[in-house]
Amino acid sequence: MLKDITLGQYFPGNTVAHRLDPRTKLILTIIYIVALFLAKNWFSYLLVLLSAAACFIITRVSFRAILRTMKPIVVIIVITAILNMFLTKGEPIFSFWVFSVSREGLKVALFMAMRLILLITFTFLLTFTTSPIALMDGLETLLAPLKKIKLPVHELAMMMGIALRFIPTLIEETQKIMNAQKARGADFDTGNIVKRAKAMLPLLVPLFVSAFRRADELAVAMECRCYHGDKGRTRMKVLKMEARDFFALALGAALLVCVVILGRYGL
Amino acid sequence: MAPILRTEHLTHIYGKGTPFETAALNDIDYTVEKGELIGIIGHTGSGKSTFIQHLNGILKPTSGKVLLDGEDINASAESLKRARSRVGLVFQYPEYQLFEETVEKDISFGPGNMGLSEEEIKERVLEAADFVEIGESLLSKSPFELSGGQKRRAAIAGVIAMRPEVLVLDEPTAGLDPAGRKRLIGNILRYHEETGAAVIMISHSMDEIAESVRRVTALKNGSIVMDGTPREVFSQAEKLKKLGLSVPQVTKIAIYLREMGLPADTSVYTMSQAADAIASLKGGGSGA
Repeated sequence: MLKDITLGQYFPGNTVAHRLDPRTKLILTIIYIVALFLAKNWFSYLLVLLSAAACFIITRVSFRAILRTMKPIVVIIVITAILNMFLTKGEPIFSFWVFSVSREGLKVALFMAMRLILLITFTFLLTFTTSPIALMDGLETLLAPLKKIKLPVHELAMMMGIALRFIPTLIEETQKIMNAQKARGADFDTGNIVKRAKAMLPLLVPLFVSAFRRADELAVAMECRCYHGDKGRTRMKVLKMEARDFFALALGAALLVCVVILGRYGL
Repeated sequence: MAPILRTEHLTHIYGKGTPFETAALNDIDYTVEKGELIGIIGHTGSGKSTFIQHLNGILKPTSGKVLLDGEDINASAESLKRARSRVGLVFQYPEYQLFEETVEKDISFGPGNMGLSEEEIKERVLEAADFVEIGESLLSKSPFELSGGQKRRAAIAGVIAMRPEVLVLDEPTAGLDPAGRKRLIGNILRYHEETGAAVIMISHSMDEIAESVRRVTALKNGSIVMDGTPREVFSQAEKLKKLGLSVPQVTKIAIYLREMGLPADTSVYTMSQAADAIASLKGGGSGA
């Protein structure tokens, strides 16, 4: 069950998507999200859907991995869709008691669900195809101008990188502690919600302790290798935009323009 | 002796149906007799840890069975629960599972989950603490205030307090100093002797295995490749070497002596046996 968590996981590969500059991928993700929220009608939705599908095919991420990313948010999507379906006013298709479902409601619900699904899966593509280190470097260079206004960009990027790096480690740790407590007769799967919440304590306390221990060890290890933050730090791999990056960005821009035009003319 | 724990055609495959599919255990038939003292050896990735995690149902077999007193432990939720308390499993670095405010409360977690009475729990906690030499003064402390060795022993007490009939330990001495190792092995052996429980332990130290157990089982790629008394197993130095393992230091010394042309007994595996063998070599010259 815990193995199913793919949050922030990186799948090494050698596709065009993997080779793109992390900055390109970050910008594309943002462009995509903007396009997604600008899409208002069938055609523009079709367009964003198709471009997402194309990206999935290019990255060669398995369909199952994509489905797994959806698992934790299924409930949110369903609730959003249902609320939109019932609460949107319009020409009713059918109704019973106080509930009525309108044509507009159905449309809004469908769009909303699609928007959420695409939003989540597309952003996951970023971490699927970009190693945490590349992502960190990309973010840092992109945000570099903000250093002028004293924003700790390097530190933020480093924190994000470390957080991503430790997700699988912590999942593994959780599984280990869970097994150890199960061996002592702990029961995580049955009982009411209060009992289950209490059962989490033997899991959470050791997990926190170990997270702090790891943080401490990591800090020492970094200092031992003379890490002193941003000042005077050089890179082994300097990011460089290639032709493919400009091509990808052009495609992204084209998508955005198309969605805007489609929205404008209500096609 | 009567068998207590048995595995029949136990097979475990990790990541079945994915490209990462690997067989961690391969058709293992293994019997543990009541009160046995077993050491499991094997190269990293040989399936030792996977194997022992089946013995109390933490991992479910892909195929095959684990039988406790003839009953399949994965047959129902009740049989699984019974197996968890009768077969105590101590994981690697068990000190990372400590969570309670006091050592005493932490040790009582296991027996508490068994649904025992307050007095019974208290009695078992004291007994378990005694086995691992955790004094009364430490029981009221926070487990996070203890030293590394004390933490390890407190965590093991948490399993011993369930009074398992089979105590399984995955590298119990890893990361301890020599004195701590010796002390912990002593504690485990005392539990074995005084309660008659079977003990199975994984170790990477051949010396530790040789000095403490009476049966040695070697695993490689998820299969049992050697199984017998320490004398039988450690007399096959060449085979062990092929498995990426070695013989105890004292056996190595005997082998070197033999290679030097001295008629040393190479089947020794404990310090005292080696001492005797070398003494008889010295005496051998004078015809004693």
